[in-house]
Amino acid sequence: MKFDRRLFFNFDWTLFFLILIISCIGLLNIYSAGYSLDNFRQETLYIKQAQWIIISLLLIGIIICIDYRFICRFAYVIYAVSILLLIVVALYGYATHGSQRWIAIGGFFFQPSELVKLTIIIALAKYFDAHMIERGYRLRELLIPFCIVLIPFLFILKQPDLGTALILIILFLSMAFFIGIEWKSLMLAFASGVLLVPISWLLLKDYQKERIMTFFDPENDPLGSGYHIIQSIIAIGSGGIFGKGYLKGTQTQLKFLPVQQTDFVFSVFAEEWGFLGGLILIIMFSVLILWCLKIALQSRDLLGMLISFGITMLIFWEVFINVGMVLGILPVVGIPMPFFSYGGSSMIVLMTAMGFLLNISMRRFILHP
Amino acid sequence: MHRQLNGHEPGNFRKKFKIAFAIVSIMLSLLIIRMWHLQVIRGDELTQRSENNSVRLRKIKPLRGLIMDTNGHVMVDNQPSFDIVFVPNRARNIHDVASKLKNLLAARDMALSMDIPSIGKKRWFPSVKLEKNISMEKLAIVETHATDLPGVTVEVVPIRKYLGGEMMAHIIGYTGEISQEELKKETSGDFSVGDIVGKDGLEKYLDQYLKGKSGAEQIEVNVLGKEIKVIGKIEPVSGYNVVLTIDSLLQKIAWDALKDKAGAVVVMDPRDGSVLALVSSPSFDPNLFNGGISFDDWEDLANDPSHPMGNRAISGQYPPGSTYKLFVAAAALEEGLITPDTSFTCNGSFELGNRKYKCWQKHGHGRVNLHRAIVESCDVYFYNLGKLIGVDKLAEYARGFGLGQFTGIDLPREKSGLIPTKQWKLSKFREAWQMGETISIAIGQGFDLVTPIQLVNAYSALANGGTLYKPRIVKRIETADGRVLKAFEPEQKASLPLSQKNIEILQYGLWGVVNENGGTGRALMRKEADVCGKTGTAQVVGLPDDERARKRKIISAKFRDHALFVCFAPYKNPEIAIVVIAENAGHGGSAAAPIARKIIDAYFERKNSIHKKSQPLVAVNQRSQAGVYR
Repeated sequence: MKFDRRLFFNFDWTLFFLILIISCIGLLNIYSAGYSLDNFRQETLYIKQAQWIIISLLLIGIIICIDYRFICRFAYVIYAVSILLLIVVALYGYATHGSQRWIAIGGFFFQPSELVKLTIIIALAKYFDAHMIERGYRLRELLIPFCIVLIPFLFILKQPDLGTALILIILFLSMAFFIGIEWKSLMLAFASGVLLVPISWLLLKDYQKERIMTFFDPENDPLGSGYHIIQSIIAIGSGGIFGKGYLKGTQTQLKFLPVQQTDFVFSVFAEEWGFLGGLILIIMFSVLILWCLKIALQSRDLLGMLISFGITMLIFWEVFINVGMVLGILPVVGIPMPFFSYGGSSMIVLMTAMGFLLNISMRRFILHP
Repeated sequence: MHRQLNGHEPGNFRKKFKIAFAIVSIMLSLLIIRMWHLQVIRGDELTQRSENNSVRLRKIKPLRGLIMDTNGHVMVDNQPSFDIVFVPNRARNIHDVASKLKNLLAARDMALSMDIPSIGKKRWFPSVKLEKNISMEKLAIVETHATDLPGVTVEVVPIRKYLGGEMMAHIIGYTGEISQEELKKETSGDFSVGDIVGKDGLEKYLDQYLKGKSGAEQIEVNVLGKEIKVIGKIEPVSGYNVVLTIDSLLQKIAWDALKDKAGAVVVMDPRDGSVLALVSSPSFDPNLFNGGISFDDWEDLANDPSHPMGNRAISGQYPPGSTYKLFVAAAALEEGLITPDTSFTCNGSFELGNRKYKCWQKHGHGRVNLHRAIVESCDVYFYNLGKLIGVDKLAEYARGFGLGQFTGIDLPREKSGLIPTKQWKLSKFREAWQMGETISIAIGQGFDLVTPIQLVNAYSALANGGTLYKPRIVKRIETADGRVLKAFEPEQKASLPLSQKNIEILQYGLWGVVNENGGTGRALMRKEADVCGKTGTAQVVGLPDDERARKRKIISAKFRDHALFVCFAPYKNPEIAIVVIAENAGHGGSAAAPIARKIIDAYFERKNSIHKKSQPLVAVNQRSQAGVYR
């Protein structure tokens, strides 16, 4: 492929630096979350996270060099590979905390469920692009794209990883709404959704039910499953307007917060930086998300638009659900905060997704070859 | 084929982008509103809950460092204090619980000492101390009725145990909870409400070493606020130990000899400026401050006209009286105005203009040379010297001995004393210096003011051959396992502005005061004839800034002179220097010298019984010992 100078001039530096800044703040925050007043717990996760960021940046560099339309020719192959990885997890995966999510690749632990988030976006985009229906999709016509999501959904629910499974469904719904659903079908889907709730309740595991119950009344069981929410709310609230200062959060440093380097990183941040810090961070994420929406809007073709919209929704929903959960307005489901939570898989997948956005953004003026 | 977005299609999607934009903005704003709700509106409440939770974070107060005398005898220790605490948790009604507790105690004729603060309608408030340092009986009642008293727990916190009691009070000082003002001034962030800090004396001066570092512990509590288990713990770090130069044997003897009078005694090692004993009387019991001093006790102490809280040894400013004559003689000799043989005739008074200045000896001393004038403390001889030297030259020498300036001892609130000059009077009173005033200060009256520590330090410098040290009361700071963290070495401040010959002349003069016929310090004459000293009698009431105290004393006609005595021993190679000031006690030779004698006798008696090592601290304060577990 011939190098086009416009690719360089159209590189979206704003997006690039936004991601970089948010990731670096996240890194500082992970350092604080692992920083302990006592010496018997050694925490070096921030070093690993820094390595993940650097690896991710290299990945971005590779991805922007290849036209996204070329990559999308293999969308279903990539999707199939990710499903295969989920099967490997189900058969040979490593389990921690009662859920089997990881596979070991060359000494690293990788979480294919994170990868699936991106591959279903690409697969759905490819499908919707190829089957554009002007009047909007009917339910029957949505069956195939729904199956694209349902397969990984069931695998991930089995792990179990309720949060990620939920994200897949939400991504599907977001993209389906975007491409357009016929009005009658929409009503029907809504009605059956309402009916599905009690059924899915029966399918949930006990600890998942407990979490959702606790969400409605965390004080009911302050030492049991409500512990996470209460501790998180206390941590955030006690940060006040200006916060307790970097490395000075008592809830954090005394390890009151649960999984404070992954799901509850935002509590750490809000405790130490207060309302002002939290506000600035949320605004930065808002700018990021709206900027991504702008990229989607300006994409040259429907494929690019669908991919970038899907990725934007992935970031948006993860931020909203994670922060909402940490703030106690949503139930505790294990969804990491993009670019902020510790986790190599999540970081690499999201950065790759950003690579796609940069890729699409760069090529918005290039006409079809 | 890829679908191009030409013309008509984006419009359709643009509408959806608007919806997406709106949804994203609204939902992210929701997060911000929720953050505002938690951090701004409920911020204070949740801050308190972060310290006070169903899983509670409890600070563990560290043990303050021990304070030991020069021989390693512990003077300040720690002891447990049992405090009744109400921790608001599920049980929010503090008044119900408190009245229940009161009834339980009343049934055994006991009361709850603290009032219940009004909580109002607050949902959350920090834990409340209902009573500090409770007795064992009360502890038993609270523990046995634990289930009836939701939210009530007993916390064990370390408090100070001042083994030295009153005798050490002015050196050690005391501790208390950090005040609001202290918290505001504090910028390091190391302190929080309820922390114990040094309030006076070495507790204050060395607080940064003594205080240690708080630990913390996570405790799971049940609905009654009772602890279920400790989840996590960070051990507190004890403060560093402090070793003093104080010798508790001498300290005790000095205190026992002085405690019935008002005044001060300082014992110093003239070889390096170490303070071996420092007492100020009347004193107070620092153990009263443990667990918070009661209002009545505080009122009594603060309003006592005899100022038991003031450290007279370093902040009591007294006219030096005849002890000042040493410095006058030094100035005259060194300036070459007189030789040791220069004589003046004393017929009982000295005339200047039309005023007569009396000698304490009504009938006069006759013709006296310098040595005899020192021995007999002849006022007329020194009136003559004062007239020869002049006030400014005299001030120069007095300052050369360290008078009129801070000695720099490691204790808070030292006073500088006062050595007047012509310039000083002009700027202070806008009046010219009168020759008559020089005559007065030549015998240590008038404007001259010295502190006991300055006086003993000046005499120590003469005793050791001319080196003025910074008085040292802290020898070293050690870690708990005995490693030296910081050693306070002897510090030479200056050399006396005197030739060796003149120093010896003056030393011999002071020897004569004690050991020659007609000497004013004969009370110190031991069979070894090894003590040198100088008596003094000062005619102004001590702590002169307190007008009320002065008036009261004059009205009650109890006004008497202050007795002063400064000495060192042995004559050759002195090891010990002492100043004694007894307020309103009369003459230095009769009232102050016997106190010095007791200390000197004890010092040499112990030194001579070489086999025995230094004697242990015999009597500790009875009240403090009884207070451990009442």
